[in-house]
Amino acid sequence: MNFRKIGVIGAGTMGQSIAEMLAYKGMDVFLMELTPAKLEQGLRSIEISLDKQIEKWALTQAEKKLILNRIHGVSDMSDFSQCELIIETITEDLERKKAIIAAADRACPPDVILASNTSTLSLTELASAAAHPERVIGMHFVYPVFKVDLVEIVRGLRTSDATFKSTKGFVEQVIDKKGVMVFESPGFITTRLICLFINEALHILEEGVASVDDIDSAMRIGYSFQHGPFEMADRFGLDSVHAALESMFREYGELKYRPSFILKKMVRGGQLGVKSGAGFFTYDEDGDRV
Amino acid sequence: MNILVINAGSSSLKYQLYDMKDESVLASGRVERIGMDSSIVTHEPEGRPEVRIVDEILEHTSAIKRVLDMLTHPEHGVLRSVQEIDAVGHRVVHGGEAFKESAVVTPETKLEIRKLFDLAPLHNPAHMMGITAVEAVLPGVTQAVVFDTAFHQTMPQQSYLYPVPMVLYKRHAIRRYGFHGTSHAYVSERAAEVLGRPLEELKLVSCHIGNGASATAILHGKSFDTSMGMTPLEGLMMGTRSGDLDPAIVPYTMNKEDLTLSEVNSMLNKHSGLLAISGLSSDMREITEAMFDGDKTRSSPSRCTPTGSKSTSAPMRRR
Repeated sequence: MNFRKIGVIGAGTMGQSIAEMLAYKGMDVFLMELTPAKLEQGLRSIEISLDKQIEKWALTQAEKKLILNRIHGVSDMSDFSQCELIIETITEDLERKKAIIAAADRACPPDVILASNTSTLSLTELASAAAHPERVIGMHFVYPVFKVDLVEIVRGLRTSDATFKSTKGFVEQVIDKKGVMVFESPGFITTRLICLFINEALHILEEGVASVDDIDSAMRIGYSFQHGPFEMADRFGLDSVHAALESMFREYGELKYRPSFILKKMVRGGQLGVKSGAGFFTYDEDGDRV
Repeated sequence: MNILVINAGSSSLKYQLYDMKDESVLASGRVERIGMDSSIVTHEPEGRPEVRIVDEILEHTSAIKRVLDMLTHPEHGVLRSVQEIDAVGHRVVHGGEAFKESAVVTPETKLEIRKLFDLAPLHNPAHMMGITAVEAVLPGVTQAVVFDTAFHQTMPQQSYLYPVPMVLYKRHAIRRYGFHGTSHAYVSERAAEVLGRPLEELKLVSCHIGNGASATAILHGKSFDTSMGMTPLEGLMMGTRSGDLDPAIVPYTMNKEDLTLSEVNSMLNKHSGLLAISGLSSDMREITEAMFDGDKTRSSPSRCTPTGSKSTSAPMRRR
């Protein structure tokens, strides 16, 4: 299967990052958002991200222009008619995601693969919204998608072998990332492990064992993490970490997934990390720590 | 039989269409400054006036499509349709140790070329885009690849081994491969013709100077040593490539600037060389024009000389 044109639904953090990576790899990307303002904001954020990469010598001005030329903002699924693959990246809300999958299923011919970037939700349940559940699959990217060469490929109960084979080919040969196959389970591999890691760091903080800085330094220096658990949580978005833990707590019913009270309090207070400028640390407009 | 020969470089693409009945050239041309706002397409149909177009061509796939459009253009073309092209030959920079001679393009060949992307990040991906674009436009046409590294396979061990632990060569084939092989081979043959002496008697240093640049010591017609190394990054300072530098600079910079492997690779391949030294452009023509216009650029062409002369003589000194 040829992959030249890809539809991306949602221009939030993950949608931007996926669109940017796909365009860098040479594909035409059709990025869809609910409102022109949100779309504009998403495209602007992609440009800022590309500028930051130029500052780090990762890209040239010509490459930036080329990438931006390949990303086309759209407002309707009828613009996906030429796409071979659609990736939805909206927030982790089962009903909203089901509605998006159902709409994409109606709008696209049955040979188009419908992928969800969900990190915790049931693929089987998402696929149940489609008349063709065999073409629905999970493709869970890790942020920042440009740098992290890993995708969790998640099969729902009715995902066909052909859909899985094409998706694996896309991940490993077209976008050159390592695809790990995961059977449906809340949080898959990465979200389940990393959220527990962050939650345990929060418990250490709650118990007064160590400070935010020292916990982050210990894990960053001691175990070669790029960021410690608190900066990592800030970068994922504290609301996203909270939602993932809540979802796994509900699904597994085990106390270890119950979100820490500090996390709940910060989310209620609107301290969401990089996206709000403040979380455990403070950040400037470019997402750099102040 | 018509054969289209494509030489896709890092920022340019040259082509020639041959009629193999008499090995005559039907048309030739080039696309220059790929990736810049004002790319230049120059098409020369044999026996007819040259056609020159300035347009924005941002990558190689678009460049190849433009070439095929030119070859079949109602006014400037030499073919009725692209179906009249029977085979396509591509220059490929890096053949690693897998390719000691030219090869027909098969899925296996493409896989091997793809495996060598890391070793020639500016070139092998561009060649692959050329091969893929031709496959899309001319499905089923036979394609062949000719490798730059093949000419240098005659280098003795003393030239191709680096003074690093031998296990790196055994495990990862880390060695000098050399590049611009077809160019150095041709230049040495022409030099022998011009000098009127047999190539087998000559000791030559040939220089290939373009956006990428290399020098080769050719002993009795065979490559003895060359300035480019495992990748086309070593040797002379180039348009956007650093050429030789103290290897310790790489880990030091990665640490100080918190750079990833791909960022440092991109820095050394795309943001260094003449572009970095001049702070203006990777194109000597633009720098020279700016100098004549009184631009206070940080560079002058003479800045190229010390590194240039050192690398040009290095292949001979190693003997």
